[in-house]
Amino acid sequence: MADVKVVVPGDAIDTHTEEEESVLRLGPGLIQQAGKVNAIAAGVLHASSDTNHFWVVGNRRRYVPAEGEPVVGVVLGRHGEGYRVDIGSAHDALLPLLAFEGATRRNKPNLAVGATVYARVSVANEMMDPELECFNSHTGKSEGYGELTQGFTFKCSLGMARRLLNAKAPVLNALGDQVPFEAAVGVNGRVWINAGAPEKTILVVNAIKNSEYLDGKQSKQMVKELLGKQ
Amino acid sequence: MARPDRRDPTQIRALHCVLGQLNRVDGSAQFSAGDTSVLCGVYGPVDVKLYDEKLDRAHIEVKFRPDIGVPTTKDKWVEDAVRSTFEREILGQLHPRTLVQINVQVCQGDGSVDAAAINATTLALIDAGIPLRAMVAAATCVVRSDHSIIVDPTQEEADSALSTHTFAFSNLQTNSPAYVDSRGEFSIDEYNACYDMCMAAVDRTLAFMRTAVEGKILKETQTAL
Repeated sequence: MADVKVVVPGDAIDTHTEEEESVLRLGPGLIQQAGKVNAIAAGVLHASSDTNHFWVVGNRRRYVPAEGEPVVGVVLGRHGEGYRVDIGSAHDALLPLLAFEGATRRNKPNLAVGATVYARVSVANEMMDPELECFNSHTGKSEGYGELTQGFTFKCSLGMARRLLNAKAPVLNALGDQVPFEAAVGVNGRVWINAGAPEKTILVVNAIKNSEYLDGKQSKQMVKELLGKQ
Repeated sequence: MARPDRRDPTQIRALHCVLGQLNRVDGSAQFSAGDTSVLCGVYGPVDVKLYDEKLDRAHIEVKFRPDIGVPTTKDKWVEDAVRSTFEREILGQLHPRTLVQINVQVCQGDGSVDAAAINATTLALIDAGIPLRAMVAAATCVVRSDHSIIVDPTQEEADSALSTHTFAFSNLQTNSPAYVDSRGEFSIDEYNACYDMCMAAVDRTLAFMRTAVEGKILKETQTAL
């Protein structure tokens, strides 16, 4: 762990680079004040030397929307030209009625209140309410976004959600070897699981929840024990 | 005059903290100094009432509850202390039109409760990932009846004091305090002596808080892929 640099709010960050006049890119957790760069969140400092990119990675529970991120949301209601969707952020998001694959004015999906959706954040800044879309607006294809029927949604920390989005996530792979299931992971800390039967779904959900503080090897062991108890 | 617990005048009590123990809030921390223990739970940034909405920054709300009895005017003062300190430290302009709600509950009170409240709040805000300009820690000094000065008083020591002084400092390299509260009759020399003593105590408290936060971050990092 020698090369892991942990910073806390108020720490000055050394962003000295080889070239004199280069553009510095500050990611989350850093701010520039009076010509100096300070950390404003606690976490591990990451630096990419070839792009002069610095950022801090720390775990949180409350989601702050950012453009392009996949989220799992719940439909709260229908207002005018769109749905109001709860994605766990400070303000509810707007999902336009036509933001689905192949939707036209005459042929558009009808989501009920309480429906779960997997969507992509299309607009996010601190001044406006976030907006979602259930398709890739460039290609017009759904690419996995859309309504999620049946299954069960649960909450986890944002760091946990990001780990789950990695294709090599140990707990998901260990489960997938034994139990067939579908999963939709939102970076807003919400995960949707559908394993067919309720008992299987609950088992998968519990296994994922248990793995929050376990490493790869421990996760595999935990899944083995959980499946063995069935 | 020896202190009842035989501490040196500049010696603070044993510090202890637990981060993230509450699972329904966005961030939490329990901070203890000796027998004084304060729990802080933080929500934010969340939706805000229209009445409190600020167009260019987050609205900060503090609720402080004593260990015994219903909140009184004294507790409102601590709410104001915490709010005014953190309104300057929380980077509210990154989250306009939202609310950051800080809930402080005294679990056990034995002096220096307002300082513990500020310390617990800093740790809870860090646990929640709410952007902070700096870490803030506080300490209390009292001037006793024999005009000697002691740091981190217990309730018994504070009750018999001529004056009480609470100072909070941040870990940015500035000399100006983040919070000052002085009560009672005191001279300017006594005030300055308390200032220096509290600054030294705050340095130790900040180092302790940094260690606690680093421990939490490292634990989270080793479970990542």
